[in-house]
Amino acid sequence: MTQSDPCFLSVTEAAALIAAKRLSPVELTRAYLDRIERLDGTLHAYVRVLPDEALAAARAAEAEIAAGRHRGPLHGIPFGLKDIYDTAGVPTEGGSKLCLGPVPAADATGARLLKQAGAILLGKLTTWEFAIGGTAFDTPFPPARNPWNPERDPAGSSSGSGAAVAAGLCAMAMGSDTGGSIRWPAAWCGLAGLKPTYGRVSRAGIMPLSFSLDHAGPLTWTVEDAAIVLQAIAGHDPRDPASADRAVPDYWAALASSDLQGVRLGVARAMFERDCPASGAMGSAFDAAVEVLRGLGAAIAEIKLPPLALYNATASLISRSEGFAIHEKTLRERPQDYGALARDRLTIGAYVRASDMVQAMRRRLILVEATEAAMTGFDAILLPTCPDPAPVLGELGPYFDNRRPMYMRPFNLTGQPALSLCNGFDDMGLPLSLQIVGRHFDEATVLRIGHAYERATPWRARRPPL
Amino acid sequence: MADSIEVRFAVETELLGLKLLPGQEANLRAAYAALRDAVVLVGADYSFEAEPAHVFAPAPGAERRR
Repeated sequence: MTQSDPCFLSVTEAAALIAAKRLSPVELTRAYLDRIERLDGTLHAYVRVLPDEALAAARAAEAEIAAGRHRGPLHGIPFGLKDIYDTAGVPTEGGSKLCLGPVPAADATGARLLKQAGAILLGKLTTWEFAIGGTAFDTPFPPARNPWNPERDPAGSSSGSGAAVAAGLCAMAMGSDTGGSIRWPAAWCGLAGLKPTYGRVSRAGIMPLSFSLDHAGPLTWTVEDAAIVLQAIAGHDPRDPASADRAVPDYWAALASSDLQGVRLGVARAMFERDCPASGAMGSAFDAAVEVLRGLGAAIAEIKLPPLALYNATASLISRSEGFAIHEKTLRERPQDYGALARDRLTIGAYVRASDMVQAMRRRLILVEATEAAMTGFDAILLPTCPDPAPVLGELGPYFDNRRPMYMRPFNLTGQPALSLCNGFDDMGLPLSLQIVGRHFDEATVLRIGHAYERATPWRARRPPL
Repeated sequence: MADSIEVRFAVETELLGLKLLPGQEANLRAAYAALRDAVVLVGADYSFEAEPAHVFAPAPGAERRR
């Protein structure tokens, strides 16, 4: 593998070459399929590869582009979908024995929009069971492994999405995020992972885990790529009752500015120094990133948010309760068909009383308002994505979040857009991560900050040593 | 109210009619303790008027999600 391999082109780079007819979508698709064949026996990023369908779609894209009908930057770009996204004619199994077999009749909205943009579906990607089960060895599919070190955990629940993009097994992937499941694998796999504002991207046709906390979004190699994917999938969808009917701005245009003059950033230092202290490497990388952003012209000050534990307790009651409601029937009738981790994490929701849930939703509104008030005078919040880099696969344990809570869940609760991106590597070569959180529906500013940071730093030049 | 977490867990499990599989009880009991901590942290001391968050804003005539 060399850095000039087409599998290591960003979406932006591949799109430019395809538009100039210097890169064939068919050859690009074949390169990914060959690489999947060679590496996925180790990484387990895919649960199902679709070579015939992908090559057919690539040929169609190539013919269309040759005929002068170029649809845009995703035309001819190969991608993968977390296997909780419905795909017409292709099983969607959610990493669970309970879902083996049935084939959806229609695509999830996100899948449909990407196909309409001309993207090529390479296959379905490994997920934690029902996006909650954790790194498990008692489910139908083996857990994905981290391309930076296959003995390490890629995080989840969009584990295959993170592993596949980092390993060059697809150009971009879609994930879902209820408590960090896009941003976390992005962090541990060294990617950009964007959880858009709640309501910005449709979740129709995606297996639900927690209705009021679920978000859909992309995992990509660069922030610029995330902007391109967001452009294709953002917008109102009547199939999703939470979908917002708001205008979609031009995200790519928002990246044009190379500096951050006038941007005001709030560092949520108490969260990662007091509430759950980040590891030394993560803290040092964060401080260095702040200096880069300051050098780009951003004004930096400290922002005071409510305690991390309060956000997490509130989100936990809501997600457990909603998750149990979704799974109650099958948990009672077929508990043995769940993996142990998913079964336990879903069953505990039975113990949340109705009044506990309502109090949590009252607390949620208070936290949303407190976060908005704290952001007065700031355009975005900065903090690490998680306290530690990737541990050895299987080390997380069932209730890791009680011991070392991540810094992501607050923004599922508030519904704000949040981006994770790579801000360096530890002394074992494992990726470190930075999180940028914006105001509701202001993904453009979040992407602008992330893109400016990426352009000013060398981290995108390094790929996993596969 | 002075019941231990273990007793409360056992009573609630029975009331909920949950049939736990072998090995599940110990894991769930630990999670139950964390859940009760979360309930305490979230609290119940709100004013009568304190509204819950209303996160869904369905458009008129919106179709079902799936």
